[in-house]
Amino acid sequence: MNVLGLIVEEAWHRRLNSALVLLGIIVAVALPVLYFTTGAASKRETTRLMRDMGYNLRIVPKGTELADYWRDGHSKLTMPADAVVRFKKQRNVSYNHLLAELTRRIEWRGKPALVTGLAREVAPAGKKKPSMSFTVVPGTIVVGHEPATRLGLRKGDSVELAGSTFRVADCLVETGTEDDVRVWLDLGDAQKALNAPGRINEIKALECYCRDPGLDKVARLRTELQKIVPEGKVIRMTAIADAREKQRRMSERYFAIVLPVVLLTCALWIAFLTLANVRERSSEIGVLRALGHGSGRIATMLLGKAVLLGIAGAVVGFALGTWVATWLGPGVFETKAGQIHADWSLLGTALVAAPLFAAVSAFVPTVAAVTKDPASVLREA
Amino acid sequence: MIEIEGLTHRYRKGNRETTALEDVTLTVEQGEFVCLCGHSGSGKTTLLLATGAMLRPSEGTVRVAGTDVYSLSPGERAAFRAKHIGFVFQMFHLVPYLDITKNVLLAGGRGDGSSRVAEATEMLSTFGLGHRATHRPEELSAGERQRAAVARALFARPSVVLADEPTGNLDPDNGKVVLDLLADYHERGGTVLLVTHGPGAESHADRVVHLDHGRLLASDQNRSCPK
Repeated sequence: MNVLGLIVEEAWHRRLNSALVLLGIIVAVALPVLYFTTGAASKRETTRLMRDMGYNLRIVPKGTELADYWRDGHSKLTMPADAVVRFKKQRNVSYNHLLAELTRRIEWRGKPALVTGLAREVAPAGKKKPSMSFTVVPGTIVVGHEPATRLGLRKGDSVELAGSTFRVADCLVETGTEDDVRVWLDLGDAQKALNAPGRINEIKALECYCRDPGLDKVARLRTELQKIVPEGKVIRMTAIADAREKQRRMSERYFAIVLPVVLLTCALWIAFLTLANVRERSSEIGVLRALGHGSGRIATMLLGKAVLLGIAGAVVGFALGTWVATWLGPGVFETKAGQIHADWSLLGTALVAAPLFAAVSAFVPTVAAVTKDPASVLREA
Repeated sequence: MIEIEGLTHRYRKGNRETTALEDVTLTVEQGEFVCLCGHSGSGKTTLLLATGAMLRPSEGTVRVAGTDVYSLSPGERAAFRAKHIGFVFQMFHLVPYLDITKNVLLAGGRGDGSSRVAEATEMLSTFGLGHRATHRPEELSAGERQRAAVARALFARPSVVLADEPTGNLDPDNGKVVLDLLADYHERGGTVLLVTHGPGAESHADRVVHLDHGRLLASDQNRSCPK
């Protein structure tokens, strides 16, 4: 009879032991799946919040008066648009999102309005990041709530701004912020409309850190950024950035403590259950050896059972972890339920890691079983 | 077929060393049925397990079918047992989660091809277990279990069958059936070394040897086991 058949028949015969081993593996898989699935959603949620609150680092033209900047929401000065290219090429400062803007206050149809030209968002080389901002297609305009309402604009309409005609790509709902009086253009269109070719007045960046922060990481970051964009002045939103960093590190620390404890507990659980299984099977092991079945075949039977249960545990644990994440996650992480979804790459990882984990946990009892004197096994049985 | 020479086995339990077998020399010829008698604790099972390449002795040699079994590696010994030796135990030791056909198929080689299954089923029928072929051990009586265990021991057509008190847990009628099965194997040229601590089996034996406190006392002259 082949080993697989023996494993399946034995696992079914001792269903309670098999179910308890399976339970240990399911817990060992479900917890990391839960953490990583909700963690990814939490990160996306934090990113969304950061986007709503603003990027954590801004570079404005060097001579900008901060009082004017905070009052107006933008700098009246400009700097070369290629500063973004330089930022992208450097290797000393890491970042996740870069966005160049040109913003001016203008009179539009008898009322003040903010015109913001948006460049396409820049992600680090080799990293595909979901855009935190929207992109405006050249020739189109996105209109804030106030001018859209006042001018009776609808999606698809044509509208004239600073001598050029644009098709309305979208009209936004009321937000209660200055965005209500803002219109967005493609950066090139804005530069042309505002007569500032090749210029921008702000670079926004998210998750900007020095690769080697040293002792004073803020001062170091400023120094590094000054080298990259000498014509700029750095404004760092430390409260937001630090809160985000703190949240992430706290979560990582918590996981770093909880995960090993849970995994160790599960490993011991599986080891004890395997030991109990091996003791219960001592007569069978002895007689198999008497019948000429070698240690390798017997070890394969014992470890093979752990591996098979590991595969089943990986699938069930992944399903359970994902289900709990979608069920509990929105409450725990205050995310939208739709943002938590199955991470299928975790299933692949679980299918490799869980059988390995189960086999390692069952290894010591297995070695004890196959190295035990077969004669004493039969005497004890 | 079996040549045991100068076999001594000592084991240690705590600080105390016990000699289970002392300088045992015994030869069992091919096709011979030898009954090994002795009281409990006389070393019979130890001698049987040592003969079956299951227990390395402290001293001495064991040759079965011309092979010094303890000169083989553990893997080679396992293969040797599969090919040459059939075991029957007092406690049957059937694998509880397999039906008796699959228990029989565990003996002597891998796979459960249709020819092997047919052979095992036929053998079980010969042993009066045809109607039990798909039953698990727990569904069988003690006598049926031991018959299934004998079938498993004989399935691979071993050179030697080593039986450790095979009737110890059976009533006289079932004990007789099991002894008859072993006698039948012997009549077809098989070699049997049967361990028992009571009378009954010696009538089937060509020779009776006695073990007392690990020492071989006599052979041939005394035809009965102690009561």
